[in-house]
Amino acid sequence: MYDNILVPTDGSKTAENAVDQAVDIASKYGATVHALYVVDVDATSYSLGTEQVDRIRQGNLEEMTEINEDADEATGYVRDRAAEHGLEVEEHITAGEPARAIRKFVEDNDIDLVVMGSHGRSGLKRVILGSVTEKVLRRTRLPVLVVDVHGETDIEE
Amino acid sequence: MTVPLQAEALDISFKLVPAIIVFLMMASFLVIGYVFKVADTEGMWVAGRGIGNIENGMAIGANWMSAASYLGLAGLVALSGFYGLAFIVGWTTGYFILLIFLAAQMRRFGKYTAPDFVGDRFNSPTARALAAFTTLLIAYVYSVGQARGMGLVGQYVFGLDIIPMIVVMMTITVGYLALSGMLGATKNMAVQYTILIVAFLAGVYVVGFSQGYSTILPQIEYGALMADLGREFSAPFVNQPFYIWIATAFSLIVGTCGLPHVLVRFYTVRSERVARWSCVWGLFFILLLYWASPAMAAFGVDLFQATTGASAYAAEGGMSGAEGDVIVVLAAQFANLPTWFVGLVAAGAMAAAIATTAGLFITASSAVAHDIYTELINPEATQRQQVLIGRGTIIGMGALVTVTAFNPPALIGELVAYAFSLAGVVLFPMFFLGLWWENTNRQGALAGMVLGLLIWITSIINSVLPNYIGALGAAAGESGALVPIYAQYVPPIGAALIGTPVVFVVTIAVSLATPEPPLETKKMVRQCHSPEPMGQQETAADVVGDSTSGGTPADD
Repeated sequence: MYDNILVPTDGSKTAENAVDQAVDIASKYGATVHALYVVDVDATSYSLGTEQVDRIRQGNLEEMTEINEDADEATGYVRDRAAEHGLEVEEHITAGEPARAIRKFVEDNDIDLVVMGSHGRSGLKRVILGSVTEKVLRRTRLPVLVVDVHGETDIEE
Repeated sequence: MTVPLQAEALDISFKLVPAIIVFLMMASFLVIGYVFKVADTEGMWVAGRGIGNIENGMAIGANWMSAASYLGLAGLVALSGFYGLAFIVGWTTGYFILLIFLAAQMRRFGKYTAPDFVGDRFNSPTARALAAFTTLLIAYVYSVGQARGMGLVGQYVFGLDIIPMIVVMMTITVGYLALSGMLGATKNMAVQYTILIVAFLAGVYVVGFSQGYSTILPQIEYGALMADLGREFSAPFVNQPFYIWIATAFSLIVGTCGLPHVLVRFYTVRSERVARWSCVWGLFFILLLYWASPAMAAFGVDLFQATTGASAYAAEGGMSGAEGDVIVVLAAQFANLPTWFVGLVAAGAMAAAIATTAGLFITASSAVAHDIYTELINPEATQRQQVLIGRGTIIGMGALVTVTAFNPPALIGELVAYAFSLAGVVLFPMFFLGLWWENTNRQGALAGMVLGLLIWITSIINSVLPNYIGALGAAAGESGALVPIYAQYVPPIGAALIGTPVVFVVTIAVSLATPEPPLETKKMVRQCHSPEPMGQQETAADVVGDSTSGGTPADD
């Protein structure tokens, strides 16, 4: 039923929380796990400078070693967990506005299921911080499995 | 010296058409920023689709030219005549040093932020923190001038009192930056440059032509006015002594090379060749405004005298500081040009102020979010945390700048010059020695930066704070400075003339007295100024890292 499962990750505990679920489903269906790290252009702008966004757009992401390390660490977690189950894993890095980049990736790569973590924020916090997961949920037609960080697990945020 | 709050001669009222012009301008920045942010990421991977020299040059021009260039420069010439030229000389000469010694070398080092360079070059988190702190301080002082400029010209368009006007303009700018940092994207900067240069040159040409001052070259023709304007404008060293002239020009020159928001542009370009040519184009685009600025000042002063019927000479109670700061807009207003046209000139000033504020606030947010938070406090910080910290920094700094701008200690141009002094004293020696003398080490850099900060801060405490703090003011007495001799030789506006050489000497002396930096670092420095060309997307660290068996940098 599922051949390609996408796990978007930013390396946070919230994101890692969803990995177990994704791996579990993937092993049931023998699906390929795609780990995607999106370089958030907003984060790049605020922490490295807007010029660096231009640098990424010029196709020079490879020379930005620190960003690649962060990405590798985040997708590496997914790779390791999936490897434990002998699953096939593909790691991807892209850049843009996270929700849009995820949607685009989904469209271009025949993904059948998206599994992602959520902070479960509500009220004012949600307004200020927004939610990538919520945007993905609203903008794709795919099944999206949202794993709430406050759920059964005891992993801290 | 405290500056009068608003320009009496300015026509302060709400004007519909200029307001629409400003609204459309802001909306265009928003749209460009949004489109840039969400633009399809597909093209992203096409290497070589780089930003060209000219576009990058325009971005340098917009990032660089703030309200201080647009308004303050003409204001200083209008108020202090010959002394104002120190700013034109200082703000352009620095680019030659940048071009020859820093632009391409910085590109080779290939880091992200100015504190990144300092931290990595001197292998010291403390040096990184000091550089980040200096960056914040520069952005703060520099931005006060921008807030002031936006408030003053905003009054012509929207007609609010000066304080609410500053609050409104800063809220818009800061709000924009907190929502999206994309105001500083190269495309947006290029548009901001185009708006500001068209508005300024249109102002000069139309005022000059309609008033019969000039025809095709107002940049030169204004000379004919000199005899009418009086000696106080053209005679050297009447308004400020020789020493201050030199000190100001020197500070502005070295400050130019130490400004973090200017240098970051060179890290990102495709190659060192593009870095050099961007620098040249940047200077050319800047000169387009600077050549015309004294002409606008001369027209403004003459029109001021004709309109008010009094001498414009500030020392005789003529033009006030605030009036000088808006002389560019005042000249257009006195020339009886239609309000939409005067509004366009005012909008250009806003574009200049907004572009620079964007550059400064983003360097401030990166100093906190990247250099302090991620590098020093929480290496595991997620992107989202960085965004939050960056936004928080922008809002906090925006509030601080806004409040300070209510009662600024000096004219726009002078405020900005304080920031240049700081950059010239603290950061320029680190960049210059760091790139050119491989034996500069951590101890030397720390000693130099601490001393530089001390020199600048004591200069501010000595000459500026007595205006604000009663106890200091009383202690300062008539002279306005706690230690008049220190104020005379190390004034905040020209602190670098003594400060920078002292910091150089101390950094070198301490470096010589302490162990040499690691070989790895030295190789990186050699690579930065080696005559051998480097590959397009290489950095010095790559080359040094790649070269196995103790690789030889190209100039060994």
